[in-house]
Formats: sequence, C-alpha cells, structure tokens
Amino acid sequence: MSDQPFAIETRELVRRFGHSNAVNGLSLRVRRGRCYGFFGRNGAGKTTTIKCLLNLLRPTSGSVRILGLDPARDEVAVKSRVAYVPDAVAFYPWMTVRDTLDYLASFRPRWNEAVERGLLDRFRLDTRQKASHLSKGQRTQLALVGAICAEPEVLILDEPTSGLDPIIRREFVEAVIGAFQERDAGDRTVFVSTHLIAEFEGLIDEFTIIDGGRDVLTLEADAARERYQKIYARFAVEPAGLELPGAQTIRRRGRELEMVASTDPSALLDRLRAHSPEALVAESLSLEEIVVATLQSGAAVA
Amino acid sequence: MRMRLNFRSGKPVYLQLVDQVKAAAAAGAIREGEPLPSIRPLAEELRVNRNTVAKAYAQLESLGVIESVAGKGCFIRKNGSPYRKDVRLKLLAEDIDQAVTQAHHLQVGKADFLRLAADRFDRFDHQRGTNGRQEVP
Repeated sequence: MSDQPFAIETRELVRRFGHSNAVNGLSLRVRRGRCYGFFGRNGAGKTTTIKCLLNLLRPTSGSVRILGLDPARDEVAVKSRVAYVPDAVAFYPWMTVRDTLDYLASFRPRWNEAVERGLLDRFRLDTRQKASHLSKGQRTQLALVGAICAEPEVLILDEPTSGLDPIIRREFVEAVIGAFQERDAGDRTVFVSTHLIAEFEGLIDEFTIIDGGRDVLTLEADAARERYQKIYARFAVEPAGLELPGAQTIRRRGRELEMVASTDPSALLDRLRAHSPEALVAESLSLEEIVVATLQSGAAVA
Repeated sequence: MRMRLNFRSGKPVYLQLVDQVKAAAAAGAIREGEPLPSIRPLAEELRVNRNTVAKAYAQLESLGVIESVAGKGCFIRKNGSPYRKDVRLKLLAEDIDQAVTQAHHLQVGKADFLRLAADRFDRFDHQRGTNGRQEVP
C-alpha cells in the first residue's frame, strides 16, 4: 500500500497568469481509492489546478504526478488511465450518442460495454439522438458514460453537476458510486471539484479547501465533522467566568450561548457541562458549512 | 432493516452503519441467517462511498455480528461473540461508563438509572418476541 504512488500528487504547484498566481504553491496528496473533494470559491484556483493535472496547462513551477507519472512527459500513459468530466461538455454536433461513444472508445485501451448499456439505460439516453439535440444534463450524462466505460483509475470531475436539475444530479452521484466503483473500489480514485458539496457529502473521504491558490485546510471528512461542531447551551443563570477557548463566533443571549467549535469540541463541551447547563446540544457542521466557516474565518485552522 | 445516516451526529459514517446493524440484530429487526443488503445498492441508496459500507461490513464481521459467504454476501450470524466473557463485560463497561457519566450530568440517580436499564432490556426482548416489526424508539 505505502509504496504505491499517490493517485494525484502536486508539490509546490504554481501557475501564473500575467502578474498573479492562480495557483500559488499547492501541495496535494490524494491516495488511491479515495474520493477526494476539492473545494473553494470561484477563482480560488481549482480549475487551473485541474488543468495542470491534465496537462492542459503547464505549471509555472512545482510538479504534478498522476499515478506516479508526469502528465507532461508520459501524456499518453496518463491519459489512458484518467478520465475527466468538466462542467461544460462539448461534443461534435453531427455525431449521435452512439457515434460519440464509439469515437471516445477508439482512444481507450479498455471499454466496458456492459457498464455502457447499464448507464445508457439508467440515464434513458437514446443512442440515435444527435449530440446537438442533447440537453445540458444529457451532455453531462453522456460525458460521464464516456468517462466511466473507459474504466479509468482516476476520475476527475470539475463542477460536473452545476446547472443541472436535482434528479440528474442525484443520478450522476449514484452512477459514480454504482458504476465507477464497480470493479475494485479500492483502486478507483475520484477527485471532484464542486460547489454543490451537499450532493457529494457521503462520497467524500477527504478534502482540501483552497483559497488564493493555496491549501487552507486538508482533512478527512469524518474527522472534520467530529472537529467542527455547533454547540448550543442554556443555563439557569448566566454563567460567570466561563471561558471558551477554541470557540469561534460565540453568540451570547443572556443565559443562552451558541458557538462553533473548530478544534476540540469535546473539551469545550466538558467546560460547559462543568457549569451544569439546563440544555446542551452539539451537532456537526456539514462539509458545506465547514467550507464556509473556513473561508469566512480567512485563516487556516491547522 | 432500515438504515439511516446523520452527517450531523459527529460519528464516523461507517460506525453509524455498524451501530445500526448491531442495534437491529439486538432488536430482532434482522435475524440470524438473514442477509444484509449488498454493498453496491446500499451505497447507492445511502449515497455514500462503497468503501464506507465495505469498511462497516468488515468491522461487523470482525466483531462476529455478521459472516460473509463468498459469492453470496453477508449474513447475520448466530449471536456468538468471538470474545471471552470477561472481555465482553469489559467492553460493555466502557459503554456503561458513558451512560453513567451522562446520567450524572442529567441528574439521574442510580435507582432511576437501573430501572431505566431494566426497562430498555425488556423492551428489546419484547421487540425480538414480536419479530422485530416495530422499531425501538
């Protein structure tokens, strides 16, 4: 396990546009078999990073490795083991769904026809339909079929479900779970950049939040939900001398307290219990709320 | 057996699955020899990673709650923990300690606590007696 190369690894990746660095020293390590979330505001450097992973852009400095290979030097080897679904998908308008899949398959060493049939069926895609007549949702579905049937080891998704209706979004996520991880789930890596974080919540094992082209937080999803909690406490009388280290955004309303713990909620809960609260409730933040809290606080919480 | 996940509980997702299967087996909602849902449809239904379900099942197997039969899937085992009784009691004591701590903070005394424990025990027994048609609230 440990001598296996990372599915994706960047070291001090920098990509400059004009005078500014869209990606500014980003180091990522995505283990094989993980489903990895890549979150950040618009303009944080997510798409630029992904384009560097795919050799669509050359890094200004730093390095990129996919499955241990350099995508600039071993372009063919990397591309045969990776698939990519961007947010806006373009196909040749004169081709039908069938033609398009045949065309995509012609570049691939492998093509799983059983998976193709299953997905076309699930998405109710008509193979005789012209690509120019497909809706945005159907184009994304077709791109996903093309990506999954090639049985790549790494599936890179860049805002794949933005602008799609909720049913198509659901089916998209289910197809990634059901069809992409079909074979050996431990060997199928997903790297997904998205703003629709709730959609992917159950799928994400680990994530990185980037801002200004830099990593501000990398955590396992379970650990993040354990660490980031919203705590509500109510006391019989306003507690005197209650200190709350490690609590963010504390709101006090007389004998009521509300706060977000971002480091050690259990220590905070013990501290609150010591003042015998009438009510004490803690719940985890969702990944989306964690991303918002991290970006709004403006600083990394290491 | 119904499985539900709560991403706000702060408990790792795979552990939620482990605990729900254990609770369902204790309450008779799923009985010896009955199959668990297979990994793929359950993962799709719960919209979680397949590795998460696989990890939960692996843990349940190591706890002796389920057994996996090659090519057939996972089944609830006859209630037989692989641990010796003193180990089992020690494991249980850890959970009871937590409940006792909680009782202290909720100002629930020993007598009430023991009565409640007996009551819950009966309730699970009753559930198993009624084929586990009802859920333990």
